[in-house]
Amino acid sequence: MSNAVIEIRNLSKIYRDFWGRKKVQAVKSLSMDVMQGEVFGLLGPNGSGKTTTMKMLLGLLFPTSGEMTILGKPASDVTKNERIGYLPEESYLYRFLNADETLDFYGRLFNMSAADRARRADELIEMVGLGKARRRQLKEYSKGMTRRIGLAQALINNPDLVLLDEPTSGLDPIGTREMKDLIIQLKAQGKTVVMCSHQLADVQDVCDRIAVLFQGELKVLGRVDELLELRNEMQMRTPTLSDEAMADIRQVLKKHNVSDVEFSRPKADLEQLFLRTVRESGERPGRRFSTEEVAASGRN
Amino acid sequence: MDFDVRPYNFTSATTSWLILLAILAGLGLVLPLASLAGRGGAAGLVDFRRGLISYLEDLFSLSLRRIAALASLTLKEAVRRKALLVFVMFAVLLMFAGWFITDSNERAELQVSVHVTFLLTAISWLLLPALIFLSCWALPEDIRLRSLHTVVTKPARRMEIVIGRMAGLGVVVAILLVVMGVIGQFWLSRRIPENARSALQCRVPLFGELYFISSEGQPQETGLNVGDVWAYRSHIPGNSRARAVYVFRGVDESALTRNEQGEEELLLECRFEAFRTVKGSESSIVKGISAQYTLSVNPREEAFGMLAQSEATRAIADALREGQYKTASAELKKLTERIRTAPGELRPADYFGLHFGMFVSGTVLENRKDPALGNLGRLFIEAALTGEGVTAALQQQERGEKVEIPYEAFAAKVDLVADGLTERSAVLMETLQRMEVPLPSFNVSEYHDLDESSTNLTRIPRRLRFVADYETLGRFLAAEIARKNDAGGLLADGALKASLTEELVKESRISQLNAERLVAVLGEQLTAGTLAVDAGKLKVADGRSWYLFFDDLIRREQLVSEDTEGWMIEKDLLQDLIQDPNGDRYLRVEVACINDQMYLGMARPDLFIRKADQPFWVGYWKAILSILLMLLLIIVLGVTVSCVVKGPVALLFTLTFFIVGQFFHDFMIRKLAGVEKGTGTVESMILIAQHRNPEVGMDVSSATMNVVRAADLGLDGVLRGFSMIVPDFAVFNRASMYVENRFDVPFRDVLLPSIVVFFGFLIPCILIGGALLKFRELEAK
Repeated sequence: MSNAVIEIRNLSKIYRDFWGRKKVQAVKSLSMDVMQGEVFGLLGPNGSGKTTTMKMLLGLLFPTSGEMTILGKPASDVTKNERIGYLPEESYLYRFLNADETLDFYGRLFNMSAADRARRADELIEMVGLGKARRRQLKEYSKGMTRRIGLAQALINNPDLVLLDEPTSGLDPIGTREMKDLIIQLKAQGKTVVMCSHQLADVQDVCDRIAVLFQGELKVLGRVDELLELRNEMQMRTPTLSDEAMADIRQVLKKHNVSDVEFSRPKADLEQLFLRTVRESGERPGRRFSTEEVAASGRN
Repeated sequence: MDFDVRPYNFTSATTSWLILLAILAGLGLVLPLASLAGRGGAAGLVDFRRGLISYLEDLFSLSLRRIAALASLTLKEAVRRKALLVFVMFAVLLMFAGWFITDSNERAELQVSVHVTFLLTAISWLLLPALIFLSCWALPEDIRLRSLHTVVTKPARRMEIVIGRMAGLGVVVAILLVVMGVIGQFWLSRRIPENARSALQCRVPLFGELYFISSEGQPQETGLNVGDVWAYRSHIPGNSRARAVYVFRGVDESALTRNEQGEEELLLECRFEAFRTVKGSESSIVKGISAQYTLSVNPREEAFGMLAQSEATRAIADALREGQYKTASAELKKLTERIRTAPGELRPADYFGLHFGMFVSGTVLENRKDPALGNLGRLFIEAALTGEGVTAALQQQERGEKVEIPYEAFAAKVDLVADGLTERSAVLMETLQRMEVPLPSFNVSEYHDLDESSTNLTRIPRRLRFVADYETLGRFLAAEIARKNDAGGLLADGALKASLTEELVKESRISQLNAERLVAVLGEQLTAGTLAVDAGKLKVADGRSWYLFFDDLIRREQLVSEDTEGWMIEKDLLQDLIQDPNGDRYLRVEVACINDQMYLGMARPDLFIRKADQPFWVGYWKAILSILLMLLLIIVLGVTVSCVVKGPVALLFTLTFFIVGQFFHDFMIRKLAGVEKGTGTVESMILIAQHRNPEVGMDVSSATMNVVRAADLGLDGVLRGFSMIVPDFAVFNRASMYVENRFDVPFRDVLLPSIVVFFGFLIPCILIGGALLKFRELEAK
């Protein structure tokens, strides 16, 4: 098992009013670790405390009690930020800058040299696909483009720990897929990723472990594959079977006292359909696909 | 032009600043400590310690590169958010301003003043709202839009953000000012009518100190108040002994200018105000009132003038001023006799005047550190201290206390002074030499509206030729004859040299007739045996000094000028008229009003030595620099306040600071110093409610009055605190005032205070702003 990159112990946060009176307790005695190299998902409904937790990790909010260490340093230590990348929920960037200037500005905050900043900016702009729009001010960007440049700024320092707040929010399915691929790529590079999201499918796709918060309390913590595994059912996948073959299989299973057997055709998910349609439309413009064609084209 | 600049005391300002900083630092530590400890107990103390260490770490690990990045971000923001639109407004303003302010019929200096005032005011007031808005809104907007989240989650310290914002806005305003300054320079040089461009001057003034001598010969801080204006100018009556005395310190070669012939001269420029009690003749109305300068070396006035404060001692003072020490001694003896026999005849004010005047005399004599004067200064001071005992005892007696008044001791000490004066009269005569150089009179026009015969500029050549009075002539002849005698240049074969007359004319630059007269008198004295020949040199037979020898001859009218001009002699302005008793070189200029029943009004800045002029644009850019410092300070305040409150509140705070600092700071200081007349805040409100004036006072019981006064004391304390934290914005206007009045801006008295005020606020504001932002939750709900 790898070492903990984030350690949280008995973390609580109480929001108070101007007079110091308690308004709401957003986080209650939260304790958990995030290990190096994993993709960790923070889940929960609105108001569950996941964003508050992330902002406390970043030093935007101060905990009422409890301890946090990030990369071995207290959350209040600014130097920890040298190894952290943060993508906020909305891309709160300076809208009067263009993509180049944005990355250059954030690079300067890391005291990077001009050459390093230029090289890194080229890489990241290429990676997020904003090559053609790099000279346009961010106020002219669409929401998706803004998320991409936001992601680029989060990675400007080649961080060890990446904190992503709703990373797929505002992205189209292609962007969402790319974002998920990127998260997987970051994991492959040995980086630790912590993400908050309401898009449960996305979390399921990329996260190794998740924590589910509800009203400030930790309700579930564990590996995704373990948490989602249905231990009293089995699943078998084959090419299309004839009626006789299905009857034979039922017979065999019956011998083993399994009578509740169901045969059905597996379904591609909507994301896959969408990606495939877009790809093929690009290859063969002007063509419309019938339902039969889509169904016949299988799951590739 | 009614402006006066107080000399700036850098040391005192720095000390006050350090004390204030220490108080703020103390409060900054104690308040959070108390708050955290109160809320969290021991854990709170740990939090405090952690926060303090973190803050100090931030302070000592600031990165210039990050600050530069944040500053350039601010610059880009200002440019792209169209802050430069202010240029358009400026250009429009300048395009149409000429319609309203240009009047080529006006006097040249007034035209210049109007244009420069308009330009500098336009620059300040155009930039001011834009800057207040930008500085107060930038950070709160960053926080509101959460752009700051992407910055603080990088390794940028929050203090760097504060400094970066300040620096960025500073660069913005500097660029705006430079561009506006250049446009303004171009506009001024084109817009001012041709006939007034010669008045685009940057005069370099050397201001002096001013005191007055009344018609009775009393030195006074102020002259007469003729009642036509507020107390800015004091007046001296014409055709009287009254003088205004200007003392210019630090006069040296640099104070001189060269005229068109290349000769060195000293320029004196005045802006006196004439006040008439009678209409006068038509010509006098046109020409103005006559005034006269006298350059004087007058150590006797400085040493003994103060003794004229009391009527009882005025005769003594006058004798001492005239160098009649034995007469003065005799007068002092008479006075001590009166003190011994009828002490009650003298009023307490007389005793006060006597001991105060003696103290000043003693101090001046002691400061000369002249061994020939011996302990005369000490005798004066001892007498003064004993006299102070008399004054104190008289005050106690007036309060009904029974005390022994030390009249006898005082009289004895004064007797010692009188004896000392007699003993050292010859030494005093040699040491305390008076020389007066009257300059030709000139006319002062009312309201400074000069006609051709009036002038406010007097040119004094470095080599001064003037008609010498008795004392000056005696000393001059003594010095010249002694010099030639020492060099063996008077005698040839036991008699006066035949060429002596020619040599005196050439070397001593006296007229032929007077030189002949002098040689003839010397010959007569030699024949009469008053002068003798000793070892090839001439000497006064009875051993007197050359000065006493010539003084005697002059008083016996044996050296009456043969020349109709009188005894014209020549002196060097810097060598002979600049006094330097203690290394403090100064020039004394007395101003007299000549016309009877007329008055001449003057304030300290009304007469100045005009050094070589600078190009006008030097002063102009110094004024721009001062405006820059003012705007930078507004940025600093705006950014600091905006670290903790939202934009509108920060705007309100900054605007309040600016308005109070600009218009009421001086009032606060004067109120707290007790200079400003009036009652306390609560008392004033009660007086208003009761329709009563401060002289009558409140109609309340004594208990209520005590409560009200206590409340007012408390409010004064609040006002004192407020006056310390509100910057004196008026300090930044002074440079503009100088330039508007066509003066150069002196660094020490004008620019230095602006720089000090700016940095005095910049440093604590950075520390406070950094702390406020650091310990602020950016996402607090």
